[in-house]
Amino acid sequence: MFVDNRMTYLKREVMAAVASLFFGNKLKEEINRIPTRIIPRNSVSHRCCVEKDREIIRQRVIASLGFGLEDEKLVDESLLSDFAEKALDRVSPDKQILSFIDEACKACVRVNYYVTEVCRNCVAKPCITNCPKGAISSDEKKANIDGMKCVNCGLCLKMCPYHAIVYVPVPCEEACPAGAISKNASGKEEIDYNKCIHCGKCIRACPFGAVVEKSQIIEVLKSLTGSGKTTALIAPAIAGQFPFSMKQLSAGLREIGFDYVVEVALGADVTAHTEAEEFIERMDSGDSMMGTSCCPAYVEAVKKHASAFEKYVSHAKTPMSYTASMTREKFPDAVNVFIGPCIAKRHEGLSDDNVDYVLTFEELGALFIAKGIDVSSCAESDFDLGHASPQGRNFPVSGGVAAAVKKILQDEGRESELTPVYINGFNKKSINLLNIYASGKSPGNLIEVMSCEGGCICGPGVIANPKFAANKLKEYVDSKEV
Amino acid sequence: MEKIKITICTGTACYVLGGAALLELEDFLPDELKFKVEVVGSACLGMCKNALPDSKPPFVKVDNEVIHSATVQKIISYISQR
Repeated sequence: MFVDNRMTYLKREVMAAVASLFFGNKLKEEINRIPTRIIPRNSVSHRCCVEKDREIIRQRVIASLGFGLEDEKLVDESLLSDFAEKALDRVSPDKQILSFIDEACKACVRVNYYVTEVCRNCVAKPCITNCPKGAISSDEKKANIDGMKCVNCGLCLKMCPYHAIVYVPVPCEEACPAGAISKNASGKEEIDYNKCIHCGKCIRACPFGAVVEKSQIIEVLKSLTGSGKTTALIAPAIAGQFPFSMKQLSAGLREIGFDYVVEVALGADVTAHTEAEEFIERMDSGDSMMGTSCCPAYVEAVKKHASAFEKYVSHAKTPMSYTASMTREKFPDAVNVFIGPCIAKRHEGLSDDNVDYVLTFEELGALFIAKGIDVSSCAESDFDLGHASPQGRNFPVSGGVAAAVKKILQDEGRESELTPVYINGFNKKSINLLNIYASGKSPGNLIEVMSCEGGCICGPGVIANPKFAANKLKEYVDSKEV
Repeated sequence: MEKIKITICTGTACYVLGGAALLELEDFLPDELKFKVEVVGSACLGMCKNALPDSKPPFVKVDNEVIHSATVQKIISYISQR
């Protein structure tokens, strides 16, 4: 999952620019200048020209403001300031959380099969004879595939005795575990939300950064600078993200404008206890297994693609959900902002009354930059609502959830009954695997599933590389800091 | 021979805009450079505050020379050319 490159930095730079203008109270006045500021005239172009780079930045700004790019006419005819005005007046964020920058998207092939120079222009031409759509013809040098006729069946690749035909992937489609991304008739990529599990793998997979999140950063900024209170609910994965302490992070969040800071590992403790109790109940009543329930992308995949497994998914709510409800009870008037590594959480948050908005670590990073806060030089501050257990804090690594459940079973003397199975990283095959487990062929009785390989610390919204994140998180968990 | 000192800014702006990846610099150094350089992380060097429009984080210092928009490759090729 983890891909860190120029694209991701550019995305963060855009978000920081938007947030910075907001903090400076000149969003509408200066937002039209962001593309030229980020791509100055003398800069090295990433595409055909500086103008195209700027246009793509402009569309990225639109997504940062929380809008999709599907309506081409609207995108073409509106100024960024028009979008800014609409964002400032908006009451609730959009339900569909992803969009495509078509201009950036066009770099990808229309068809996945390509005849290379290795073609010997043989007499037999099995590619031409076997193509069911008559899409292949040959000139004096080699065979060629007609993109308008090809249906990507792949028969030609299998037939060629010279291995001259290659498969050229479309990275976002390839990365999607649910087969939710495809090109429409006009060659534009589209997401089928009936299939999408909101895992966010497509965002990091696209080398052109064409898949964009519709950010809720404007909503959060409005809350931070408004008269009401705002709570930051920080996902446990955050402990691996930054080169400073959690207490400094807590102080940094307050400096941005958050009034309360609550660690979501508190909710993870509740999730673990609930799952452990349910596990015992299920085993006692003769169930063969139980699946974890904290990864929203996998739970969505079960609902949409592996319904046979649905009855095995634990009824425990997610750490975010428990923490948000605790926070709401304690600070009923505050706006709850979950800050995590996850895109699926944004979707989950939209249907949880106690979660108002969701930010990624990248967006949090952008807020720090916009406010000019160097967190390493912040003083320290405690969390509100107390501290979580080391097990709760260890939830965001693969194996962490099962380990927390095991620890609780240990206290009840029943840990020997537990045989955990890990699905570490969700892909196209995982859906099949869940269906196979549901048919009674599971190798264990607690199925821990994390959509991101390595766990949440490798999510689509992270900043730190996985190695750094895993070490730093372990350090924090082991320190048992209170 | 005195080692070349590479100072990587780990201030928040640099870290978020690419500095996080620079912390792995030592793993990517070619053998001939490994013993010639010393890599240190530093608190915010303050360069983002008064940077020119086209000089962006992450900032890295190679001895006293400043590299902006630093990447692992950019740092390595800069040292190699010295």
